[in-house]
Amino acid sequence: MDAALLEQMLLGALLALSVYLPLRCGQLSLATPGFYAVGGYVAALLSTGVPAFAGTGATSPLPALLVEMALGGSLAGLIALAIGRPVLRLRGIYLAIATIALVEILRVLNLNLPFTGGAMGIFGIPQPFAHPEGYVLFTLVLLAVACWLCQRLEVLRLGRAMLAIRDDELAAASVGIDTPRTKLIAFVASAVLAGVTGALAAHFLNAWNARVGSFDASITTLAFVVFGGSRFWLGPVLGGLALTALPELLRPVGDLRLILFGGVILLGPLFFPQGLVTAERLRWLGALLGRGRGRRKPLAP
Amino acid sequence: MSANPNGTAPASAPLLQVEAISCRFGGLLALDRVSLELAEGEIFGLIGPNGAGKTTLFNVISGLTRPSGGRCLWRGRPTTGLGACGINRLGIARTFQNLRLFESLSVRENVLVGLHHAARAPMVGALVGSGPFRGHQGRLEAQALELLALLELDALAQQRAGDLPYGDRRRLEIARALATAPRLLLLDEPAAGMNPAEKDDLRRLIGRIRDHFALTVLIIEHHVPLMMRLCQRLAVLNFGERIALGSPAEVRRDPRVIEAYLGGQT
Ligand SMILES: Nc1ncnc2c1ncn2[C@@H]1O[C@H](COP(=O)(O)OP(=O)(O)OP(=O)(O)O)[C@@H](O)[C@H]1O
Ligand SMILES: [Mg+2]
Repeated sequence: MDAALLEQMLLGALLALSVYLPLRCGQLSLATPGFYAVGGYVAALLSTGVPAFAGTGATSPLPALLVEMALGGSLAGLIALAIGRPVLRLRGIYLAIATIALVEILRVLNLNLPFTGGAMGIFGIPQPFAHPEGYVLFTLVLLAVACWLCQRLEVLRLGRAMLAIRDDELAAASVGIDTPRTKLIAFVASAVLAGVTGALAAHFLNAWNARVGSFDASITTLAFVVFGGSRFWLGPVLGGLALTALPELLRPVGDLRLILFGGVILLGPLFFPQGLVTAERLRWLGALLGRGRGRRKPLAP
Repeated sequence: MSANPNGTAPASAPLLQVEAISCRFGGLLALDRVSLELAEGEIFGLIGPNGAGKTTLFNVISGLTRPSGGRCLWRGRPTTGLGACGINRLGIARTFQNLRLFESLSVRENVLVGLHHAARAPMVGALVGSGPFRGHQGRLEAQALELLALLELDALAQQRAGDLPYGDRRRLEIARALATAPRLLLLDEPAAGMNPAEKDDLRRLIGRIRDHFALTVLIIEHHVPLMMRLCQRLAVLNFGERIALGSPAEVRRDPRVIEAYLGGQT
């Protein structure tokens, strides 16, 4: 497989995890592309405007990339922290609408701020890796860390509190769960992950403009999770990988891509109401693996 | 610890004081200046016809509904504005008349959610699963199983809560509430839908739980004979108004209670 496509798939999986985190506590946030755009602009601005970040050799320095990812993630996280409390009071579809509005506000800002390059955006972003394979390796490590953290949620009190809120927010509050705080943590974590991913993607794509954080992208990333399932981290990862690859493989369809995602969102829930990866299928998979290799820890309880 | 605004020492204050609570929904006065006091360790019953405001009073005490007037005091301190989470952390836990379990979680996880928030895990090590953290997790698992055994749910620990039959769900609601280590337990019609034998079992169970955890219990139940045997004191609500309060024998003789329960039929 083409390494550039593989890299796009891995970035898709990371964005899917960003949508998954709020959904794990029942919060339908479509803000991921907005935070992704913010993270990317941080990386693009630093690496094209600050000599230390651009480096002098053929490739830009790797430590600079790490710093950009940390800063991009932090800025996205801070924005989420600032707006999270009021926005997360909204429920269901109202939260979705508010987060779409946020993505739009960020897009218009990115289009009009004096330093973000207008509609053209920022291009000629330096490359920390000489080949796509370098990106793939680096992104694989990032995805593995993100998946491992999500797996820890299965045993951490935070992770269980999230699921409890998703099942019944009122009952969750009355067993002592600080529901606004838990939802805020999920929202901020989602933003940080999207920001970090954006910083990496800006380098990989070489150019960054306001279109990366658009309403289309909100729908696309949501489709990843609807398709893969939102109960367990493996679902969004598979959804992100598969649905990023699909339109590239069907390149001739062009703009039909959006219709495809719309179709997934419409028809997916009809045929797989809980997405591809459900608790039952995981148990079944665990039993299958367990029989082959003796007793092992179940993936999901 | 500072003295509370009333100047009474918290130690001598009742566990819970409900002070002239009113609750208005549009034109409906669901609670009309209801007052009562719970002493530590008692089983206190709340009875009254359908729509009398019993569940509404539970919602106010547990912080789910903001009253239009009056206040509650926990060991002499007002609970106003704490919210459901804050009130649970004070030591008040409840069950729901219309069952609100975490249905997609297992029976065991429903109890663990409650336990988690009573006992904080060591933060360092929680992320990587260090030895101390695993020890903490092990203790919580053991506590969860113990609670489930007490409510005769241990055999169902791995089942999805949403798949349980009705009676088991009611007992799981109690187990989840107990997991938060309350001092006061509010039970909203825990015997609803049970047959007489099950009701009798439940009555004994509530007594056992009270003794085991040295709890105070406030219970709503329509089955009056059960309440007469279980409770030390009873309050009767009718159309949002507290019409009687006292020992089961006193309440049974009260003419207003007889009127409220039989009035429509004479
Ligand atoms: N959130 C609400 N909004 C509007 N009206 C409400 C609300 N909650 C309760 N009510 C009304 O308040 C009155 C008291 O209801 P409540 O549920 O407290 O009665 P109850 O004594 O628990 O009755 P039951 O024995 O049937 O459970 C009823 O008339 C009910 O319709
Ligand atoms: Mg009721």
